[in-house]
Amino acid sequence: MDSQRVMDYLMEVEVAAEDVLADKQQIVDLDARRNRNREALSALRNCASDNDKVKVCFGNMFIKFPKESTRSMIQKDQEQLEQEINDLRKGLKAKVNRLNDLQGKPELRGYNLSPLTGDELKAINSILKR
Amino acid sequence: MAAQMATTKVPEVRDLTRIERIGAHSHIRGLGLDDALEPRQVSQGMVGQLAARRAAGLILEMIKDGHIAGRAVLIAGQPGTGKTAIAMGIAQSLGQDTPFTALAGSEIFSLEMSKTEALSQAFRKAIGVRIKEETEIIEGEVVEIQIDRPATGTGAKVGKLTLKTTEMETIYDLGNKMIESLTKEKVQAGDVITIDKATGKICKLGRSFTRARDYDAMGPQTQFVQCPEGELQKRKEVVHTVSLHEIDVINSRTQGFLALFSGDTGEIKSEVREQINAKVSEWREEGKAEIIPGVLFIDEVHMLDIECFSFLNRALESDLSPVLIMATNRGITRIRGTNYQSPHGIPIDMLDRLLIIATSPYTEKETRQILKIRCEEEDVELSEEAHTVLTRIGQETSLRYAIQLISTAGLVCRKRRGTEVQVEDIKRVYSLFLDEARSSQYMKEYQDSFLFNEAQSGQMDTS
Repeated sequence: MDSQRVMDYLMEVEVAAEDVLADKQQIVDLDARRNRNREALSALRNCASDNDKVKVCFGNMFIKFPKESTRSMIQKDQEQLEQEINDLRKGLKAKVNRLNDLQGKPELRGYNLSPLTGDELKAINSILKR
Repeated sequence: MAAQMATTKVPEVRDLTRIERIGAHSHIRGLGLDDALEPRQVSQGMVGQLAARRAAGLILEMIKDGHIAGRAVLIAGQPGTGKTAIAMGIAQSLGQDTPFTALAGSEIFSLEMSKTEALSQAFRKAIGVRIKEETEIIEGEVVEIQIDRPATGTGAKVGKLTLKTTEMETIYDLGNKMIESLTKEKVQAGDVITIDKATGKICKLGRSFTRARDYDAMGPQTQFVQCPEGELQKRKEVVHTVSLHEIDVINSRTQGFLALFSGDTGEIKSEVREQINAKVSEWREEGKAEIIPGVLFIDEVHMLDIECFSFLNRALESDLSPVLIMATNRGITRIRGTNYQSPHGIPIDMLDRLLIIATSPYTEKETRQILKIRCEEEDVELSEEAHTVLTRIGQETSLRYAIQLISTAGLVCRKRRGTEVQVEDIKRVYSLFLDEARSSQYMKEYQDSFLFNEAQSGQMDTS
C-alpha cells in the first residue's frame, strides 16, 4: 500500500525530470539546426559564382533553386527556430520549478524576474563587478 | 542548461556589514532553534534565554517571509543578558541573501554627516534589491581558427572560427573586428571561450582537457576545463542582490566626480534618493526587481536622541523600510536631548510601535555553560574546580568579567607551562584585575588621594 504510494511519487518525479531533459535536448537539436542554417546563409553570401541558382539539399535529394528564394526560405526557417527555442526556454523554467517543487527543494531565488535591459545594467555595473 | 545553472549560484555581491562588531559574540552561530521553533537549551552558541529566543525565532520567520517589513523590535534587558547575542543569532540565521546592517547608537554622531543622514544610509543599507542579468553567449571549444591576411598587406582580413560543444560543431565567418579581438585575447585552437552576443566581448575560460597533452611546457596559470555541453548559443542568467544604498552612492557620484575633492560630506541628496526609489518601484512593477527588506540592528539605542527617534518613527512608515531591531540595557531614564524620563530612554510614542523582547539574568547553570563555550572559543582548557570558581565569579560579579578572566587566566597558565587552568590561575588574575564592584569600592575608600576629586576640584588651577 505504502510502497505503491512511494512508487507513484517517484514516477511523478521521474516524469517531470524526463520532461526537463527532453526539452533541453530539443533546444540543443534546434540550436544545431540554427547553426547549420547560419552556415548556409554565410555560404550563400560568400559564393562567388554568378550563377543565380544554387543546389539545395532537401532530405536526400539535391534541387536547383533560385538563390534569392533559398535565402528567404532559410531566413524564415531561422526566425521560426529562434521563436521555438525562446518558447522552449520559457516553458523550461516552469518545468524546472515544478521538478524542484516535487522534490521538495526550495524555489530558486529571483528565478521569475525579468532581466534588466542593457542600459540599466550599464548604469549599475560598477556595483556588480566586485 | 545555462538558464537554471546560472541562477543557482547567487554571486557574492555584498559588503553589507556582516562583520561582528564585538569579538565577545564570535561563538554565536544562530538562534539555536529546532524546526518547530522551539529553543534548545544549548545550541549554536546560545544558552538559556528560552523565551527571548523563541520570540526572536518567530520574528526571524516573519522576516524571512517578508511579513514584518517596517516594524521594529526592541530587545531589553540588564547588561550581560545576551541582547547582542540574540541579535547576532538573528543575523547569522538570516543567511547570505538578506541584508543585515549593525550599528551602535553612538555611531551616528559624526561631524561628517548629520544624524538623520547616517540613519537613512543605515536604513538603505538594510534593504536589498534583487535583479537579474541576462546575456546571450556563444560558448564552445575552439577547434580551429584560421585568419587570411590579404596578400597586399593592407585591407580587411577575413577568417573562420570553428567552435564545438559536446553536441555540435559549427563554423563562424569572422569580420575584421572579431579577428582583432581574437588575436588580442590570444585565442588558439583548444581554448574554451565565450563570446557575448550583444557586445562581442570574448572571454577565455581555459584550455580543453582533450588538448592537455598538446604542450608539455605550460604556465602555472593555465586552467583546464571540460569541453562545454549542450547548445553553442546559450542564455546565461545571473541574479544579483545589491543594497539601495549602493545604488544611491553610484548615482550621486556620477553627477560629478568633483564631489570627491571638494570636501564631500558623504551626504546623499534627497532628490537622488527619490529618483532611485521611483526607478526601483518601476522595476518592481515591471517584474524586473524584488525588494528584500533586511534587518537594521541598532545597539545601545538609548544613545539616540529625540530627533533620531522622531526620524525613526517617520522612516518606519515608508514602504521601503527594513525590520528595525534595537537593543538597550537602560531602565527608566532620561530621553537624550530632553529632560523627560521614559522607559528604556525611548519616547512613549516610539515604544508603542515596538515588539518588546525581554531578556533575564542567566542562572548559575547557564553561566557555567556559557563559560564553557567561551573557553572552547578562546582555546583555553579549564579544570573542573577552576570552572566552578569562575562560574561563581560570573554569578557574583558579572558574566563579562568572568569571560575576561578566561583568556587572562589562560595566559597565566601558559606562563607557568601548565596545560589546564587551575584555581590558582583564576585567583591570580582575580587579584590582578578588579571587577566593577571592587573597583568602585576602592574608589570610595581612596577617593581623597585621586586627582580631581570632589574635595580638591575647587582648588585646581584649570587654566
